[in-house]
Parts: sequence; C-alpha cells; structure tokens
Amino acid sequence: MTFQTDIDAPLLDVRALRTEFGTDSGTVTAVDGVSFAVHAGERVAIVGESGSGKSAMAMSILRLLAYPGRVTGGAVLLNGRDLSALSERQLSAVRGRLVGTVFQDPMSSLDPVMRISKQMIPPIMRALGLSREVARAEAILWLDKVGIPDAEKRLDAFPFEMSGGMRQRVMIAMALSCRPRLLIADEPTTALDVTIQAQIVEVMKKLTAETGTAMMFITHDLGLVARFADKVAVMYAGRIVEFGPVREIFRTPSHPYTQSLLSTIPSAKALRHQRLAQIPGMPPDMKTPPQGCAFRERCAAAIPRCAQQPPELSPRGAGHVAACWQPEGLTGIVRPECEARVRPGSNRALRDRTMVEINRLTKHFSSPRLLSRKPVPVVKAVNGVTLRVQQGETLGIVGESGCGKSTVARLLLGLEKPTSGEIFTDGLAQMVFQDPSASFNPKMRISAIIEEPLVVKRWGDRAARAARVRHLIAQVGLEEAHLNRYPSQLSGGQRQRVAVARALALDPSVMVADEPTSALDVSVRAQIINLLVDLKEDLGIAFVFISHDLLTVRYIADRIAVMYLGEVVEYGPADEVFDRPAHPYTKALIETVPLPDPVTEATRAPKLLQGELPSPLNLPKGCAFASRCPIVTDRCRAEKPVLRHPMKTREAACHYPHAI
Amino acid sequence: MTQDTTNVPNRAEAPGLAIRAAGGLHRMGQGRFLANRKTRLALVILVPILALTAFAPLLPLQGPLETNLGAMMQPPSLEHPFGTDRMGRDILARTLAGVQISLLVGLSVAVLAMVAGIVLGTLAGFFGGFVDRAVMSIVDIFLAFPSLLLAIGLVAVMGTGVIPVIMAIALADVPRFIRLQRSLVLSLRSRAFIDAARTVDAPQAWLMRRHIVPNTVAPMLVAASIAAANAILVEASLSFLGLGIMPPVPSLGNIIRDGQTYLEQAWWISTLPGLVILAIAISFHFLSDGVREALDPRSRQ
Repeated sequence: MTFQTDIDAPLLDVRALRTEFGTDSGTVTAVDGVSFAVHAGERVAIVGESGSGKSAMAMSILRLLAYPGRVTGGAVLLNGRDLSALSERQLSAVRGRLVGTVFQDPMSSLDPVMRISKQMIPPIMRALGLSREVARAEAILWLDKVGIPDAEKRLDAFPFEMSGGMRQRVMIAMALSCRPRLLIADEPTTALDVTIQAQIVEVMKKLTAETGTAMMFITHDLGLVARFADKVAVMYAGRIVEFGPVREIFRTPSHPYTQSLLSTIPSAKALRHQRLAQIPGMPPDMKTPPQGCAFRERCAAAIPRCAQQPPELSPRGAGHVAACWQPEGLTGIVRPECEARVRPGSNRALRDRTMVEINRLTKHFSSPRLLSRKPVPVVKAVNGVTLRVQQGETLGIVGESGCGKSTVARLLLGLEKPTSGEIFTDGLAQMVFQDPSASFNPKMRISAIIEEPLVVKRWGDRAARAARVRHLIAQVGLEEAHLNRYPSQLSGGQRQRVAVARALALDPSVMVADEPTSALDVSVRAQIINLLVDLKEDLGIAFVFISHDLLTVRYIADRIAVMYLGEVVEYGPADEVFDRPAHPYTKALIETVPLPDPVTEATRAPKLLQGELPSPLNLPKGCAFASRCPIVTDRCRAEKPVLRHPMKTREAACHYPHAI
Repeated sequence: MTQDTTNVPNRAEAPGLAIRAAGGLHRMGQGRFLANRKTRLALVILVPILALTAFAPLLPLQGPLETNLGAMMQPPSLEHPFGTDRMGRDILARTLAGVQISLLVGLSVAVLAMVAGIVLGTLAGFFGGFVDRAVMSIVDIFLAFPSLLLAIGLVAVMGTGVIPVIMAIALADVPRFIRLQRSLVLSLRSRAFIDAARTVDAPQAWLMRRHIVPNTVAPMLVAASIAAANAILVEASLSFLGLGIMPPVPSLGNIIRDGQTYLEQAWWISTLPGLVILAIAISFHFLSDGVREALDPRSRQ
C-alpha cells in the first residue's frame, strides 16, 4: 500500500512491519503490520499512548529490539535497500551513519565513565573519514550548534557534569554530526522541563531543516506534533490508524481515536465550565488482541462490522488515510461529550472561608558534613512563599522542576518541617501523588490501601469501614471487584482513582494533587481531571493542583501561583494570569507551551527562554530570574523585586510589570 | 530492587510485560516457585536426604553411636552403604545424624540472623541519626573480621555444643543481615506510600510493621537461604577443627575429621559425608536462586 501520490522513492519505506514479544504468559504483538514512508527532509511524528507499539516500531526499524522482542514480518527499506536482509555488521554501518537516533532518557544514553569527546569523536571519524583533529573541530561545531555554551571546554566534560537538557543536546549533536539522512527521535524531550523542551525542539527543527535530514519523531504530546511535524502517524494497539499531513489530521481527523484524543486536550481557549471530553475504557491488552477493530470497545461510532473485520487504511483526502469503516469517524454520529455535559458553576458562596493560609514560608535543605570545615551548602528550596486557598477553590501552582512547588506541597501536608514561616489548614489536608506505581504498598490489597487512613484514625468498626471503602471506590468510578486486587493488577488510571479514594477517606478539607496526571496516558488523563473537578464541585473541598502542564492548570485552577526558584513570582486569577501575564517568566512559560493546533503554531514565533534554571545553591542577590529575563536591567541584578500589586487582583514580583 | 511494577508510560513499551510481575510472597504461588528448574533440582536432592534423616531410626542400620569392633573400616556394602569407621560405627547412620544437626544449625542460624537483622536494620534505617550510627558502628566492627574467624572466637568464649555453635554463627551473620535490611529500608523510606501514610499521622510502628517490613521480607528470605547453606559449612568447619560439636555426638564436620587420618586406607569415611555436605550446600543455593527468581520476575531469563 502506498500513501504517497508523488513518484520519487521514499527515504524510508516501512512495509507491513510486525514485531512480537514472547513472554511467559503469551505472545504480545507490539507492532501489527505497520506501513508508512518517510521522504527525504520530511518530519514525521508517530503519536500513540504507551503500549501502542510506537517505540517497539522505531526499535524494529534498526533491529535494536531487546530480548524478548523480535521482528517477525515485513520489510524496512532505506534508500531502497532492505535493512532486514543486512547482516549485523552491515547494519551497524547504517546505524549512526545513515540513521541517527536520540532516545528518551538523556541520563542513560551516554556512557557515564567516558568523556563526551571520547563518545563523540570516533563515530565522526568513522562516518565522515576525518582525522582526529578535524573530527574534534567538527564535534565542537555541532555542540555549538545545539546550543552548548563553551563547547570547546564542554567537549571534554563527563556526562554527570551536565544537566539533563545539556545531555539531550549532546545526544542530538552526536546524532546529527555524522550527517545521517534520517534521525529517529524517541520521546526526546519527555524527560525535560517545558522551557528546555521548547529549546530542544527548536534546535532539532532548525538543524534538520538546515541539513535536509528527515526525521521520525515519536511522542505522545499532540502540542509538540503541531509545532514540529509535517506528517503524523497515529498508532493504536500496534497499528497505524491514521496517517496524513499534520494540518489535515488536526483540522479533519477522521479516525475516532484521533478525534477523541484531540478533543481530550484542554485547549488554550477551553471553556472552563465545560467538562473535558474523555475516552472511556483503556487500551486493549495486546496479549489477547481483540477481533476486528482494536478501538471498537471505546468507540461511540462502532457498528457490527467493526467487530468482525479490522478496517484497513483507506484514503480520506490528499495523502490522508484512516482505518475506520465510518467515512468520517465520530463526526455526525456522536456529539462530543463536552457539549452534552456542562460543568456546574462553582459555588461562590463557599468562598469566604480560608482553608489554607501560608505565610512567608521557607524551607532550606542542608546536609552538614561530619569531617568538613567548609561552610555547609544550603539549598533554598522554598524562599518566602505566601499563599491562600479558599473553600471550594482550586489553586494551581506551576513552574519548572526545581522551583519548589513540590516542596510547598510536602510542607503543606506536614511531610517536611518548615525552616520558618507558618502554615494553617482548616481541617485535614490529603494528597494525590504523582506516580501511581510508587504511591501504593505493593503488598497490600486495594481495600486495605483505601481503609488504611480509617484504621490509623480508628474510624468506626470493621463493618463501618468496609461500607465506607465500598462507598469510596464507587465514588471514584471503580467497581467493588477492584478491592480484592493488588496495585500491580490495575492500570495507571485505575491506580490514580484509588489514590483519590484513599485521599478522600477521611473527608479532607484540602486536597493536594502533585502532577496527578503526568504519569498517565493521554486518553486516561481527561478521565482523572474530570473526576477531580467533579469531586471538588460535589464535596466543596479546596484544591491545590501542582503541575507543569499549563493547559491543564489553566483549565482546572481558579487562581494560579507561578513559582521560580522557591519564590512566587506571579499570583492571581487563572484567566488573567494566562491572558495578560505581568511577570516576564510567566509570559515565557506560556509562550513555550506548544498548542495542539498546527495553524496557530506555524504563525507563532515563540520567544524562548534561554539558558537553564540557576542552581538553588547560590541564588543571585537581585531578581532570581535576572539571568534569563529578556527585559533585565541593572536594577534587577542589584535589587530584588518583591511581590506587589501591579494590577488590582494580581501580584507580581517584577520591577517592570507593565513592560511586557 | 523492587517487586512492584511500573505501568508508567514511556517506559519499555511492551504491553503486558510489566503486568505479570508479582506483588509479593502471597502470590509467589507454588506454581512459579516449583516451576523453576533450579528449585526442582534442589528439591530432588534435598527431599531424599530429608526423608532419610527423618526416618533414620526406622532404617535397618545400627545406631549412630553403636560400635562394632568386629566390623571396623569396612568399605561400603549393602549392610553398611557408607561403610564403617575405625570403631566399626555405621557411617550412614552417623551421617544422617550429622545431617540432622547440620539442618538444625542451618535453619536456626538463618531464622535467628534474619529476625535480628530485620529488627535492628529496620530501626537503624528508619530512625537514622543516633540509632543508625550506634547500630552501624557495631556492625562495622563485626564486619571487619572474617565470619569464620569470628565464629571460632565466639565458640572459644561460649564453649562447644549445638546451642553455642548456633549462637556463634548467627552472631557472626547478623551484621550482614542488618546491612541488607537497612539498605532496603532506606530505599523504601522515601517511597510515596510511606508519605501517604504519614499524611494521616500513622504511628511509626505502624509504618514499619505495615509498610516497611513486608516489603523487605522477600530479599531477606533470599539472603537467609544463602546464610543457611553458609551456616552448615561453618558448623562443619568448626566441628572439623574440633571446636563445634564434640565427638562422640556425630556431626558432618567431626566425621570428616575422624576419617581424614585414614583417607588412604578408608576413603569412604571422609568422602561420602563430604559429598552430602556439598549436596546440601548446593541445594540451598539453588533454593535461594529459586526464591529470588520467583519473587522478582525481572531477573529471569
């Protein structure tokens, strides 16, 4: 099957690729007949949730699969040459030289005991046939191109001397320095902060355009796709369900899965009183692939035919194909759920009671050394934070990692003792943790997990507690059958529901959610956000929502606190902060967020934050943001701005709040 | 290493690979443990030895202490499958009696060292600070001596016999268990489920009993089965050196010691009990591998 109407041969032609993982409990078909083509100079995004087979597919192309995975069918043609026919030796000449790779985890992709130069120069010498000196100059050139300051010196650094963002830049420089024809990047920015992510994406976009390198970009972030890709392949359950030019896919998606995914993202202009559309259910277990269409059970447009015969990709427009029996997917068949169900307005009457009051809170970490006379280094994680949360209100805290937002949460819950300052909470504060796989004792059943707070607080007798647990599990939308399971037997979304149930057990007045959806799949994310919003409205609890996902925070929060290096730099009503930011950092953060709309993205020329977060070990004397601020003056470096009210409802810590 | 699995997206994208990992002992299930090849090999060796040891009095053998001066230094025969020694005692009967003591020593040491290690290691790891420093300095002092040497020293102080031998070997092993338990506790202490329990002010005893210890039992069991094998060898060594179980009470160590003088005339006196020790030690090591692989599916091939 060909999706291309033009006649020139594609650079990469993947045909009916099939990959299986042999496990003890059966064979998992991770990639189930995937065909697509990448032309020279093209940027193709592969989008899919975890388990959709997108990484397995990328690994299969270069036969980099780890045991027990193995390619069981299909062909991969690079420049017309079948890679599956090559010997391991011939293939390693292709890897690196013709095809460069950048993987997700910058921490483990570089050898920790080798200097960058040792890892970078020999491949360049081999690939381009250069002498050591010339190759070294080449390496420095590329490090400079990807934005590594002082490249000549950094070339001889060890990986541990660099931050995650720097290492990912090095990986990109390494991949591109051999002048590959194709770059395969597997979630290259997922582990990084939003501001760094935007920088990296810009670098890759610029450099691949410069060198004419084609790119295959694997991600689950639809915003990035819109910013970056020429074409998009959407994968579900090991198959490509939709493929086409990026604008087509975003404007007229025709597979129900693509359509649902796009509607689950809170858009920048999302109406806050509307519920997010959500995809019911979970992706299928690939050990027992369903008969017919794999998306059938989560699809509102499913017809009997879907159960019998899996749909093949069929044309929907110029170069646009989708695998669905319905010509337009959900369109015209179901109205999106968000229109049907309107989120009730918040009960403003409740708002006059302050549930959380934080005054000039500081938290400094230091580790005194027994046998050292040097001054003890102090990390100022939280540096004078003052916040209020009213009853029934949601406070969103945003900022890059290391800004102290999680420490504020831990202080609020009493998990850490503040260095100075005060915290008052009216009633009990409870927490929903970030990583649903680490937040439960793996040896306890779900029933015992939810019951634990009740047992600890000696709440009721055994029967009353059991009834309460059943009530809670129903409240978060799970079934009683789940109570007998262990955490490892639940999916990520289900576990996060259990986490919410546990947090609700003692009727808390404040709920703190620290990145509650960042470890979840896109299609499940909206389910959890809707659940949290519903509970907040039903129970009238105050919410503190911590996240780096600005679109979600904007959707869920009433007020927003933007944190930078342990300080609140801007604080005010969510819409105002987003629409008219008063602090240059807030503005930069908002600009870096890729929007899931390729047309807008094409016209946007985001002014990206340069550099990285300074070390919290030695904070500058003046404004902490001065080193990265586009409107910095001498006054900022000398004098620290305090939070004040440049606008009636808003606070910002900047000398020039009206300048941006 | 943890036993729970992560379904966090962006990890290895093999659906279902993660799901099969177990949650713990309760689901270790006989299925997976017994399906392990090493476990089965260990059981094929251990079960007959255990059965013979248990039913030794019913076997048509002379008692382990009975001498028969008319049949000294007999080579293995139907009547005396392992032969006889210089006093005409039946080596098989003595070996089986020795195995009984060996197993008693091995299991007692493993249980004692594990329990003491869990208690002290948990306290040190959980509380940190002064408790940690106090416990760990003693541990470091103990660890500065080779454990056999330490056991020899302790036996010299406490005297010979089964109980002192068990105490000495257990005491020499405890530091290792404390170290292991402490490191496990340290990695668990910062996990989110501990934080979750702390947000409802769960008492520290509750945290240790409900959350910490259950998650350390599996690796401790693995260590305990290796310690059992080691203890059997140390007991044999002590007895061989004349410091452990004193003749005429048979122990594998002192039987071998008895026989070594006659190795050229009567090889069976030392060799056959020696092979039995070897078999027991190897099967305990296999068992520990089996336990580990059953509890941690990721270590399997």
